[in-house]
Amino acid sequence: MSLAEDILAIEGLEKSYGGLHAVAGASFTVGRGSITALIGPNGAGKTTLFDLITGFTRPDGGRVRFEGKAIAGLPPHRVARLGLVRTFQLTRVFAAMTVMENMMLAPRDQPGESLLGLIAARGRHRQSEASSRDRAVALLRQFNLENKAGDYAGTLSGGQRKLLELARALMAEPRMVLLDEPMAGVNRVLGRRLLDYVAELRQSSGMTFLFVEHDMDVVMTRADHVVVMAEGAVISEGPPDYVRTDPRVIDAYLGRPAG
Amino acid sequence: MSVDFWLGVGVIAGIYGIFVLGLQINVGFTGLINLGQAGFMSIGAYAMGMLVTDAGWSIWTAMPVAIVIAIAAGLLVGLPSLRLRADYFAIATIAFAEIVRYTFQNADFAGGNQGIIGYDQEWRDISDWLLDRLTPLGLGDLTQLPLFLAIWITFTLCLILLKLLQASPWGRVLKAIREDEDAVAALGKNVFAYKLQSLAFAAALAAIAGFFLSFNVTYLYPSEFDPTFTFLGYAALVLGGYASYGGVALGTVLLWSVMEGLRFLQLPLGTGQIGALRFVIIGLILILASMLRPQGLLGRKAEMQLRG
Repeated sequence: MSLAEDILAIEGLEKSYGGLHAVAGASFTVGRGSITALIGPNGAGKTTLFDLITGFTRPDGGRVRFEGKAIAGLPPHRVARLGLVRTFQLTRVFAAMTVMENMMLAPRDQPGESLLGLIAARGRHRQSEASSRDRAVALLRQFNLENKAGDYAGTLSGGQRKLLELARALMAEPRMVLLDEPMAGVNRVLGRRLLDYVAELRQSSGMTFLFVEHDMDVVMTRADHVVVMAEGAVISEGPPDYVRTDPRVIDAYLGRPAG
Repeated sequence: MSVDFWLGVGVIAGIYGIFVLGLQINVGFTGLINLGQAGFMSIGAYAMGMLVTDAGWSIWTAMPVAIVIAIAAGLLVGLPSLRLRADYFAIATIAFAEIVRYTFQNADFAGGNQGIIGYDQEWRDISDWLLDRLTPLGLGDLTQLPLFLAIWITFTLCLILLKLLQASPWGRVLKAIREDEDAVAALGKNVFAYKLQSLAFAAALAAIAGFFLSFNVTYLYPSEFDPTFTFLGYAALVLGGYASYGGVALGTVLLWSVMEGLRFLQLPLGTGQIGALRFVIIGLILILASMLRPQGLLGRKAEMQLRG
């Protein structure tokens, strides 16, 4: 696979909590248009790494570059506005808002989101609402949620929430999406559908995906690049077939002898 | 129970109504527990009073400037404290309100415990003018009627504005912040800026309520603005309904009808004891209401349950 261009480059990223090095000098890159899996045993620092990349946690050291721009230390909303949007391990839908409201919130730079825009740009605001609604309807149809548009998001099943969270992230028109365990708590049929969408989107719009996943079958069949973390550092990366047979990876998963 | 008496009740309910609209945008629609609303109200009322009596301004220029001052106070409180967790923010706001009250109580510029008097002549003139017009209709004796009308017209305008805002994408972001602010930030919205704006609206509404309060009592003194005012506001909010602007009107009218109506209880008790009994009864009503209708009269039960 050609590594023509990296969309995300992480260099020596560090984060400690007290004496615990949650992320200890992690470095790797994600190729534009790739579906990259981030794997590693529990406590390897995967979710902390996501938090560091997306601004929810400030790194102690190291660099993160997204499309060539240094983003380490930026607040979450600034990172998201650059086109790097994440989902969460424990799904975060706005429970007491409808599915449609969840979708309509997400687009970036809505004129009606500012008090000034509501007064000064009424025409643009109406247009933007109408076009957002059209996109939301189309996406919900694609994700088989169109019948739920008027329901409170809190009434959806766990799997449907995952779908909604991804659909909502797509409403923000990201260039890269970070998915934290998109399959967790989702039944296999829905989970597969979600991954099919991911593959389709990469195909149709060149979107880049980085996802954390524990199911090795999924990782090996769906990802074209795999990054393996253990104890806060990247211990291996490469195509699935390479990573699968890397002794360092096998060590990390099966554990080394104590001592 | 004269008409004038119930107009008086309506005046108090309306002042609380405007005050609680501000609480509602914070608590019901942004998830901010603002316990300092009485502080913003006192800053607005005192700023107006001092601009008129000390600086000799017209009340009509003093009021908008006082609103701006209250908003500035809101931003000043919000800048450091909105980054705190929700419960610490609540504590910071009540501390702010108490600092403001004690400052007014002890500072010479604010008249100390004597307070401020003589700022409301221009309002009296308008009120008298209106009463003259009402006399041919046989309403000239209802001295509270002009204030009552002014308050409820203002309330209605604020209510309409807030409902329009809540239906806009701006209001959608506020509501989403109430649900999950991290998820909102992850979608590129500046949560902090929205919280500040929500607080600014609350402060502005508190200032407006403060103007009417100062017209109703004719002089400003610090103990009018003790935290009880905010807490009774919360009682009205809970009664009327969480995340419902319409519920605010219902809640305040109900609360103050019961509060004032209970004065007429025929009991073998002294007036002080009846006064205390009112709060006991209000407390019982609140407990009953939260058992039978936790979402409040106009709140939405489904939304309440979904938030868990």
